[in-house]
Amino acid sequence: MNIKVGMGSCGIAAGAGDIFYNLEKAGLKPAPVGCNGMCNLEPIVEIDGKMYTQVTDIDEILNGTKLPLETKQNQSRIALRNCGNINPENIDEYIGSGGYAPLNLTPEEIIGQLKVSGLSGRGGAGFPTWFKWQAARDSAGDKKYVICNADEGDPGAFMDRAILEGDPHTVLEGMIIAAYAIGADEGIIYVRAEYPLAIKRLETAIEQARERSYLGDKFDIKIKAGAGAFVCGEETALIASLEGERGMPRLKPPFPAQKGFWGKPSNINNVETYANIPWIIQNSGMAANTKVFALTGKIVKGGLAEVPMGCTIREVVYDVGGGITGGKEFKAVQMGGPSGGCIPASLQDTPITYEALAATGAIMGSGGMVVMDESSCMVDMARFFLDFTCKESCGKCVHCRIGNRRLLEILERICDGNGRENDIDLLEELSEEIKAGSLCALGQTAPNPVLTTLKYFKNEYEDHIKNKKCPAKCCKPLLTFSIDLTKCKKCSLCVKRCAADAIDDFTIINEKCTKCGICADVCKFEAVNVT
Amino acid sequence: MIKLIINNHKINAEPGKTILQITQENNIEIPTLCHDERVEIFGSCGICAVEIAGSPRLFRACSTPAADGMVIFTDTERVRRNRRSVLELLLSDHTGDCVAPCVLACPAETDCQGYVKLIADGDYEGARKFIMETNPFPASIGRVCPHPCEEECRRTLVEEPVSIAALKAFAGDFTPIGFAAPPPEEEGSVAVIGGGPGGLSAAYFLRLKGHSVTVYEAMPEMGGMLRYGIPEYRLPKAILQKEIDAVERMGVNFINNKKVSLDDIKGDYDAVIIAVGAWVSSSMRCKGEELGNVIGGIDFLREPPIISGKIVAVVGGGNTAMDTCRTAVRLGAERVYNIYRRTRAEMPAEKIEIDEAEEEGVIFKFLANPLEISENSIRLRIMELGEPDKSGRRTPVETDKEETLAVDFVISAIGQKLNPGGFESIELTNWGTIIADSETFCTNVQGVFAIGDAVNDGAGIAITAIGHAKKAAEAVHGFLAGCGVSGTPQNYLAKTKKTPEDFIGEPKQNRAKMPHRCASERRGDFKEINLGFTEETAQKEATRCLGCGCADFHECKLIRYANQYDVKPEKYEGLISKKTENSPIPNVLQTPEKCILCGLCVRLCEEEIKAGVLGFVGRGFGTQVKPAGDLTPCVSCGKCAEICPTGALTAINN
Amino acid sequence: MNCNCAEKLKQKLEPFLKNYTEGSLIPILQKAQEVYGWLPDDVLEHIARKTGVKPAKIIGVVSFYTQFRTKPVGKNLILLCQGTACHVNGSAEIERVIRDILKTEEGGITEDGKFTYNNVACLGCCSLAPAMMIGARTFGKLTRESVVEILNEY
Repeated sequence: MNIKVGMGSCGIAAGAGDIFYNLEKAGLKPAPVGCNGMCNLEPIVEIDGKMYTQVTDIDEILNGTKLPLETKQNQSRIALRNCGNINPENIDEYIGSGGYAPLNLTPEEIIGQLKVSGLSGRGGAGFPTWFKWQAARDSAGDKKYVICNADEGDPGAFMDRAILEGDPHTVLEGMIIAAYAIGADEGIIYVRAEYPLAIKRLETAIEQARERSYLGDKFDIKIKAGAGAFVCGEETALIASLEGERGMPRLKPPFPAQKGFWGKPSNINNVETYANIPWIIQNSGMAANTKVFALTGKIVKGGLAEVPMGCTIREVVYDVGGGITGGKEFKAVQMGGPSGGCIPASLQDTPITYEALAATGAIMGSGGMVVMDESSCMVDMARFFLDFTCKESCGKCVHCRIGNRRLLEILERICDGNGRENDIDLLEELSEEIKAGSLCALGQTAPNPVLTTLKYFKNEYEDHIKNKKCPAKCCKPLLTFSIDLTKCKKCSLCVKRCAADAIDDFTIINEKCTKCGICADVCKFEAVNVT
Repeated sequence: MIKLIINNHKINAEPGKTILQITQENNIEIPTLCHDERVEIFGSCGICAVEIAGSPRLFRACSTPAADGMVIFTDTERVRRNRRSVLELLLSDHTGDCVAPCVLACPAETDCQGYVKLIADGDYEGARKFIMETNPFPASIGRVCPHPCEEECRRTLVEEPVSIAALKAFAGDFTPIGFAAPPPEEEGSVAVIGGGPGGLSAAYFLRLKGHSVTVYEAMPEMGGMLRYGIPEYRLPKAILQKEIDAVERMGVNFINNKKVSLDDIKGDYDAVIIAVGAWVSSSMRCKGEELGNVIGGIDFLREPPIISGKIVAVVGGGNTAMDTCRTAVRLGAERVYNIYRRTRAEMPAEKIEIDEAEEEGVIFKFLANPLEISENSIRLRIMELGEPDKSGRRTPVETDKEETLAVDFVISAIGQKLNPGGFESIELTNWGTIIADSETFCTNVQGVFAIGDAVNDGAGIAITAIGHAKKAAEAVHGFLAGCGVSGTPQNYLAKTKKTPEDFIGEPKQNRAKMPHRCASERRGDFKEINLGFTEETAQKEATRCLGCGCADFHECKLIRYANQYDVKPEKYEGLISKKTENSPIPNVLQTPEKCILCGLCVRLCEEEIKAGVLGFVGRGFGTQVKPAGDLTPCVSCGKCAEICPTGALTAINN
Repeated sequence: MNCNCAEKLKQKLEPFLKNYTEGSLIPILQKAQEVYGWLPDDVLEHIARKTGVKPAKIIGVVSFYTQFRTKPVGKNLILLCQGTACHVNGSAEIERVIRDILKTEEGGITEDGKFTYNNVACLGCCSLAPAMMIGARTFGKLTRESVVEILNEY
């Protein structure tokens, strides 16, 4: 019996560790595999190709009382090709799947194949990968570096973690190819400290690759754990951090391909980009025309989805993601995290390409796709992202340090019901100056969540400012709770749960109400009105 | 060589330079707050943004290498807008006072903090010279000024205000008056009508600028209200005369005893300044006002009748009323009443004047208003206080009660007005003062300016007239030079509000008491009441100054650019980042609230000095520059204060 | 804040300090935090002396990265995810419940010394939103009720 258990962070959090242990105790030999993307169905056990989801009791799957999943998800996988299929802690399985194939190409030929494939950086900016490699190759220097940016920090994105946990060798192989192509002898993987499992699996993989001499004298890789700064995803800040400095972005030019780590030519790509490289080389420059998305939010089947470029947002949300939870109305997707924007449901037929997404004001980004329904407030979303950017700003540039802080303050007062008449103009005006005046991408793109929500949901801003109402019923200071006595059965559940003691004789006392919403949540008769 | 086009001018430059370097070599100003040739390029402030043709972006001039054929614009509307936003954002998170509140409160913008500091440092001559940049009469004004500066003095939040006015008098008295040789008279001629503090100051400032000036005075002596309206016991004539003489010694032509009209002299001069003051006492609007025993306060002070053994009632609550009461006491009046329609708390006169008058035996009749005057009595309406008026003072309201006092003389000291005779062509306000521009002091007649008590709001205090004089002199100077009349623009200044809590750690140090003659002694003569500060007292008093105004105001790049770019930081008003206290840097005063995080000090300390004492702490909005305490030895080079573009780090002079 | 820790803890750091090379400050600080649980002032001074890195730089680095703590923490460190997916799924309410139970602000230690909670940007468990980690364990799909149960287990 060939048994695989999904042992990514998501699987483990859902209880895969116990399942694995119980299977071993039952005398079976389960293999740990990475995340197969169906995070919402964890823990997942695969027995001889049959996939059992949300497993709680191993007896059910062994004695046949639980039925396997009928179809797999509708995806086309390149970067995630091995995730969930092979044991990430076993190099032979990676080699068995075609990995570490001998390289019979010259460095120029490799870069040429990359150019043909059209691969562009998957971290967010979408810069052609071959161009960076060529620049690093062309830079004179006795010492060059290959760096893997595994500091995945976008809130709502976890594809890099899944790759590192599920298929670490593909990243190592991608880096080995890069090192050969540009002439580097040292590689560094800069990985978030929040990903302990990914670090552990990378360490194992590096050890195994050294044993097989894929790594060693000519090129070796070490891991550096990040210390918690989103801005270190910016390549110059990442270099500063690697050098033991505060992760403050530096001026470009010179670009890292010219003067990078310790002033030496350095090539920096992110995890997903490297994960595509071995496949492209194996397929002689075939276009790796997919993008991995982390599908989350108000969606039925949340998880990782690698979809072909050019498919529409609608296809991802409905065909891959199974639509909106609770049968609510699809309102928008947030793409690209704090640098990205909100695309309204009315544009759901937009094809997922760098250009088409940019035209909406959002960006492809690293691949976070947060689905929102009618209960998500767009002003609150903008506020949420600005709050994130402000916490993560390194503080160097005036526009980012103070400007984004002021944007946040304006959004906060709008959400609190204290918005002022000209706040929308002020948001737009300040956003433009921040975009123009910030040094790095963090600052330059920080206003995007504000600008896109203003572009598509200006009426929500106006409702907050002029009518002091939150149409999504999300901004608590703007809400009023009341009990509809015609529906109320006087069960007293709300009275018992109200921590503020604000319900007296089935009437909500506004002065005491903290607007936590628990009364409405617990009411079985929909008797609590929120306006 | 590479060829560039900057602001439509062709410029050749050596390759390998940045845009900023090239513009600096070619005298094209691009602002920068974070760049200095001594340290590596950092690019934090972003204010050096420029446009490059063909790109939608803005570029930092400090770090962008110039390339052959580049077309650069350094001063477009877009560039200015972005730079303005940098400054507005910085100022929205910058707390400090560019200028001390005392200076802002002074109608002549006297740099009180500056001269008080010089006195504290023992440089009395320097203090006097410094005062005389804005005021030619330090000894006189220091004695008589009601000192609005002291009202705003932040020392009040600790215990009592610094004795700013008395220190000015000290500086004026302590050192002999000496003037720099006046420049040659070749810049056009000016007539000043009226030799009071305003007129004489105008003459002084114009003379300093090289103009030939003639002052016409209707009275026998120069000095105006300072001579005829202020009693000897407050301002001895000899002290005033010394300061007036100094103005004359500069080469100002004095013509006394000559009352002139505008038409009399206008044709003989290139410009005229009207500074005739307000010498007509306002009416009390009561019956019997025309009687012979009713005298105007200002007339009484100028030419008092014999009142020895008589009963005198002085109506009014201002400083002139107090001067009148106390002069009457000294002239031997048997009894002196002061009649005022509100209460002591509302009196506009200075508190010390009221207190001293009372000590000298003046009897105050508050809440009383004259109804009718006869040859030997005054009938008063008793008032009570009603609702506050626009100024916040409670309005007196009539009651049905009356009181009658037996008096021989009634002196009306409720205000003065202009006598407009001789200035018929000049346009007046509805209340009878000359209309003058508040910045240039132009009247409706070209080449004629008007200042002091005669204009706009009417009678005020001497230092206001002196303030007018300085601005009018600038305007006249511009007018004579043919470059048109322009006022000094209202500049943006950073200001803060403070509360007593802000000074909890400040050790208390009481205000120096002005030594003075006792009431029983002084009421019998006109000798000066105040004895003046000793050197020791003055110096100690001066050290009480909290130094509220920024020490780097004149070198501050932030405020200079802020005014160049016409900032309105209020729109970005928001949370101000919290700063924690820093460990000391030898000889450097740290004010982290003024730091703009340009990083110049950090980089200079690390890269050039190689000390590495300073560093950034925290990140984002809460970032702060901090010295690493006593862990790293500071080499005390003071370079950090020198390179700081604002007042966040300033050198302490010992 | 100083830890006044025993010498033997300092010895644990020695091999790392001895092998200091330019640029390896962050791994050393990470190691020190692993040893002490936080970064006391005297430990930072010790690192400065041994490595020759200027104290201003060490303080700058420590205060820049959120991983580094300059205050001691409770026995169990709760990392509450505030990522987008968690935000959309109600992490703010979860935070409120945690705060009510622990009666402490973010970064503080509970009276019994058991817990410290910190908000973190994203744990990368978005499909389990709202999520938190306690020590090395991840808890997902949190509700008001489940948070109470989880905290009671500790």
